[in-house]
Amino acid sequence: MARYSQGFQSVTTTSGGKADATAYVSSGYPFFLQGGTSTMQLKVNELQCGGEATAASAVQILQFGRDSTVAVTSISGNFNALLDATSTAPGTTAVFGNAATTNPQRSTTLGKLIQHSFNAYGGLVRWQARQGEEITVIGNTASLGEVSYSPFTGNVAGPVSGHCLYELC
Amino acid sequence: MRSLRSLEGVLLIDHRCSMGVPEEIMVSQGLPKDAGKKETVWESATVTCNHCEAQVVLNPDRSRPRGFCMHCSHYLCDECEAKRFLGLPCYPFKARVQDYLEAVDKGSTPEAAHEAIFVQGVRPAQSVVMLDSSPATSQVSQSPLILP
Repeated sequence: MARYSQGFQSVTTTSGGKADATAYVSSGYPFFLQGGTSTMQLKVNELQCGGEATAASAVQILQFGRDSTVAVTSISGNFNALLDATSTAPGTTAVFGNAATTNPQRSTTLGKLIQHSFNAYGGLVRWQARQGEEITVIGNTASLGEVSYSPFTGNVAGPVSGHCLYELC
Repeated sequence: MRSLRSLEGVLLIDHRCSMGVPEEIMVSQGLPKDAGKKETVWESATVTCNHCEAQVVLNPDRSRPRGFCMHCSHYLCDECEAKRFLGLPCYPFKARVQDYLEAVDKGSTPEAAHEAIFVQGVRPAQSVVMLDSSPATSQVSQSPLILP
């Protein structure tokens, strides 16, 4: 099926981050990715993030994990593009963004799928899965219907950009 | 025939042009202390836990046996390994996804299917996924791959 890249540009992560089961701040986290229907299946296979801090050390403590509260209402932010320009986009696509009226909350039990810690002053981090070993998002409700990439407690505010590659099955 | 090595992903942390991250922060986040060393590139293999899909960074210095399920022939994270040790049957995440989609397709509500399959871990009677049917054992298994 269709493969997509969700990108985020110069997002300044929230100072101090957010603990599990605490609502994120709009535009203070890189992204969330949510299924478009109750049976939509997404497979995340790459996650990359690069720091853009220009003057001082900015340690990023970012976590990719499942959300116990999913984003709803006035969702916005980021961009989503088909990787293969010749593909035809499915009728319903995934829901994505980094701002909403009700922002996501990271699950305390399922919220730690990948840990990315790096310095936004010159550092970058990337995770790639082997084919068949991707992280699955199923449906569009908590806690398996949405994943997010967000700053954890102790994070130092800093601008980051990156992408998340996923397949819409 | 696949090997366990063929299932590995990769995690890269590049601090070649950076002052890095203090060791105590990396350790507190479950990463090796040298992963955030300044002016270096740190790269490690990762494996996907087949029961919950958490990413496990393979630590070459680990001396304990790594969690491994002989039913699905995959590595497990420590939490799922504890459940396996206690006798919970193997029910891979991707098999749950297939069963969930099948249940919804056959008329079950998404909420009910989610509750039964993902929360309670009950395999539907007409599961569409073939799994090893031998009884789950609580024997300790040594990973077949002993890293140096």
